[in-house]
Amino acid sequence: MIGTASKLRDIKAINPWQRLLVLAMAVFTIAPFAPLIIQSLAFRWAWPNILPTVWWFEQRQRSPFPLAWDYVFSPSSRVVEATINTLGIGITVTLLCLVICLPAARVLGQRTFRGKNQLEFLIALPLLLPEAAIGIALLMIFIALDLAGTYVGVIIVHLIPTIPYMARTLTSVYQGHGTDAEDHARVLGANRRQIFFRVTLPMILPGVIAGCLFTFLVSTNLFLLTFFIGQGHIVTLPTLLFAKISGGALDATGAGIALIASVPGVILLIFTDRFIRNYPLAE
Amino acid sequence: MMRTASPAFMQNLRDVVEMTPLLVVLLGLFGGALVLGLLQSFGYAPWFGINEFPTTRYFERLWLSSDFWFSLGLTLYYAFAATLIGLVISVPLSIALSKRFKASRLFSALIRLPLMVPYTVGIALALVMLGNGGLLSRMSAGLGLIDDPSQFVQILKTHGGCGIILVYVWKQVPFMTLNLSAVLARTGDDTVEAAMVLGASSRQIFWRVTLPQIMPGIVSASLICFAFNIGAFEAPLILGGGYPDTLPVLAWRYFQDANYAFQLQGMAVVVSLALVSGLFLAAYLQGYRRFERARGRV
Repeated sequence: MIGTASKLRDIKAINPWQRLLVLAMAVFTIAPFAPLIIQSLAFRWAWPNILPTVWWFEQRQRSPFPLAWDYVFSPSSRVVEATINTLGIGITVTLLCLVICLPAARVLGQRTFRGKNQLEFLIALPLLLPEAAIGIALLMIFIALDLAGTYVGVIIVHLIPTIPYMARTLTSVYQGHGTDAEDHARVLGANRRQIFFRVTLPMILPGVIAGCLFTFLVSTNLFLLTFFIGQGHIVTLPTLLFAKISGGALDATGAGIALIASVPGVILLIFTDRFIRNYPLAE
Repeated sequence: MMRTASPAFMQNLRDVVEMTPLLVVLLGLFGGALVLGLLQSFGYAPWFGINEFPTTRYFERLWLSSDFWFSLGLTLYYAFAATLIGLVISVPLSIALSKRFKASRLFSALIRLPLMVPYTVGIALALVMLGNGGLLSRMSAGLGLIDDPSQFVQILKTHGGCGIILVYVWKQVPFMTLNLSAVLARTGDDTVEAAMVLGASSRQIFWRVTLPQIMPGIVSASLICFAFNIGAFEAPLILGGGYPDTLPVLAWRYFQDANYAFQLQGMAVVVSLALVSGLFLAAYLQGYRRFERARGRV
């Protein structure tokens, strides 16, 4: 018995190839950010130097602040406006999406009825249809309704890619939650509002927060639908960055804006890693 | 008896009421877009003074041009290549991340980063790394391989699309890995352990045990990524080789044209795009069902 046991490999042991793969992918993921940061702090960085020949702090008598960042934080770059828009739209979309999906998720997660599979497919459909096709077709409707280029229009259109994630997360939350606690509360005489706010909501809160964080993330990262429906009037961080790099070149200010556009994601990455183990996406 | 509805009926009514907002939003946005898109592509646009409904001439003009087929080919090529490369990386990566190693949480968090940032950031990174004045070009000069930026191998702005595919892969490997990791965590190690006890080699375990187990995750992740890649717009626009563009960019160019009549042509592009995407996804799902049936799982 001992002989066989020692011949068996440790099931959780990592082999050198796997170690190499993880390391290589970490480098592939993170390394490209290095030149982005360097570029935003460079004063002169001519080809073919790997590092800038003149850093901004060597020129600080000329500009007390890195030039790129000075521009990024000045009103003319519209970064502040774009950040406010991105966060505002993200929060509104998240709350709206939650209000729409929470009741539906209870039905989908706890009730059985005919056509449920088809309904779940319909809800997943926005993920399976090309975003450009949806965006362009909707743009025509929104122009007719005078919603193109307005906050309302952009917020409505952000619901399309966020609803599938939110609905899916909340459905599985309700599935796992069951109805026992609610039944007890009802027997004890609680009314429907009390049951929801005192019993259900506290119990499903972790799942709700996970769904909200991811919805917010999808919304803040959305480019195409904002660009099509916003018609250039609504500037968010992704569209601002797009305008900066659409010519196919990246200057120091573009690098700064790209870094700013990554900030919400980095914050959420730290936040979700600490507080949430199960990602709503991963199902 | 008539005045008090039965509890079952009330419960059903409540279900319907609670489903309604979601259905209204989805059907309103989707149904509206679908109906209007179809109508327009068949020549219905009274607001531009065009009403030739039903005409197939926009589709005819589109499908008879060789540029359309080139665009379609490009779109499918980028989408296929990126999805396939993404899978080839994500499957072993998710298995590796399920193992025990030092700082495993830090590494899995680092690898998730691209999932959290916009695509446009990925494009900016591609420009700063892969462009002719980019870091790789500078490094080649440092190694003495080239002595002018123009000699650097053209990675961006070509129809070969290495830049586009790399951005997709960079952005989607975390998504696929996360999906697969969740499936792996759910299945657990029991079957792998059993296979090991029965004397299976690592290769046998991978092909006969792990891979079939994570197949549902592979299918759903690659479906979503493929569909996204077919409809992607900004990466081909900035990093692509220009005319003829991928279909989403082509449709956008028609829409930006000062001549309104071109919008109907653009809508024909959009409908074709949705059609192609739908056909591929349906074929994929069909193939997957057959695979599962052959294994006796369904």
